[in-house]
Amino acid sequence: MSEFNDDYPAYEFMSQHSEEDGKKARRTLWNVFWVMLIITLVELVIGFMAPGQGWSGTTWLKFFFITLTIAKAAAIVWWFMHLGHEVSYFKYVILIPYTLLIGYAIFILLVEGTYFGKPENHTRVESTFVQQKKNLEAAHGAHGAAHSDAHAEEGHH
Amino acid sequence: MSHSTEIDSKHAWDGGQSPFRLSYGKIMMWFFLVSDALTFGGLLCAYGFFRHKYAADWPKAEDVFTHFPFVEQHIPLAYVGLMTFILIMSSVTMVLAVEAGHRKDKKKVIVWMFWTIVGGATFVLSQAWEWYHFIVGTEHGAVGSVWDPELGKYVTQTIYGANMTINEYAVAVPQFANCFFFITGFHGFHVFSGVVINFIIFLNVINNTYEKRGHYEMVEKVGLYWHFVDLVWVFVFTFFYLL
Repeated sequence: MSEFNDDYPAYEFMSQHSEEDGKKARRTLWNVFWVMLIITLVELVIGFMAPGQGWSGTTWLKFFFITLTIAKAAAIVWWFMHLGHEVSYFKYVILIPYTLLIGYAIFILLVEGTYFGKPENHTRVESTFVQQKKNLEAAHGAHGAAHSDAHAEEGHH
Repeated sequence: MSHSTEIDSKHAWDGGQSPFRLSYGKIMMWFFLVSDALTFGGLLCAYGFFRHKYAADWPKAEDVFTHFPFVEQHIPLAYVGLMTFILIMSSVTMVLAVEAGHRKDKKKVIVWMFWTIVGGATFVLSQAWEWYHFIVGTEHGAVGSVWDPELGKYVTQTIYGANMTINEYAVAVPQFANCFFFITGFHGFHVFSGVVINFIIFLNVINNTYEKRGHYEMVEKVGLYWHFVDLVWVFVFTFFYLL
């Protein structure tokens, strides 16, 4: 099975296993599935209840959802994609670069997003949307009134 | 589960063997998935950026995605919950196909891959349905101002549904619909291509290709891709529908 004409061991065969091992593996996989299903149901029920309870958009609810999401993602990668059973070199090669790069992206997102969210830092493109809001206001009075964001913009122009 | 040879860390990088104890194809599939995950990470970060910037005007998902097939009442999040269930389920059938491949159980591989393809196709069709309702919009619509090039000014009119320039869910924030189309569209395209690739491998399994080869590693490789599609949906589901 040496596809590249070298004498590497045939790793394709190494993951094959016996009937008993298969039974054990299947039990683990079904357990993972049930846990993921329960997590999803909990997320949905809480997401459904949130508006009535006034939880919508609260910080703790966001962190709660993100934590459950990362738990689910970890379960998929660890058991379904079998990364948990690969040799540790391979785990590092996959996980470390990804964590570093995505951590950097999130850092940039938070820093630049906070800067860009301030009205005094808005770009010229913004004026289109401000104009749209003004037109809306003119047509409908108080209805569809612009937010404080747009007023700050007006003062700026 | 049972990797026969443990790695000898002193000689792992001396050549003549893979320090990862994996075949070339599987390693490359993983590397591709890492890069693809970064693409999705970039898209979701851009989404977070827009949402942070237009926080005041950003619509709530439970007000937008309320449709359910064959049901008159509006049930927020129910349909997307069902879609999530279908995709997780198809991920389980995929991993069971991989497991059957490890035992060289051709019949079980065929059965589980068949259900994976059915689940994937159902998901793609569900997404098409979701897009249809998102684009057509509600009966009442929303009032917004639209640029009229002939008159050379903004005209106030009722907006129905969504496109790339304006949408009724967030009249002042076209980015909402843009993000929806780009991110769920990019993910949907991954699901679609996953279904096609799964189908090709499914035909190969039926034609004894892997029986002759002695191993079912191709099933494992498409399995990795399929789980990745599920993985991305877990994040899209959270950031688009729950938060």
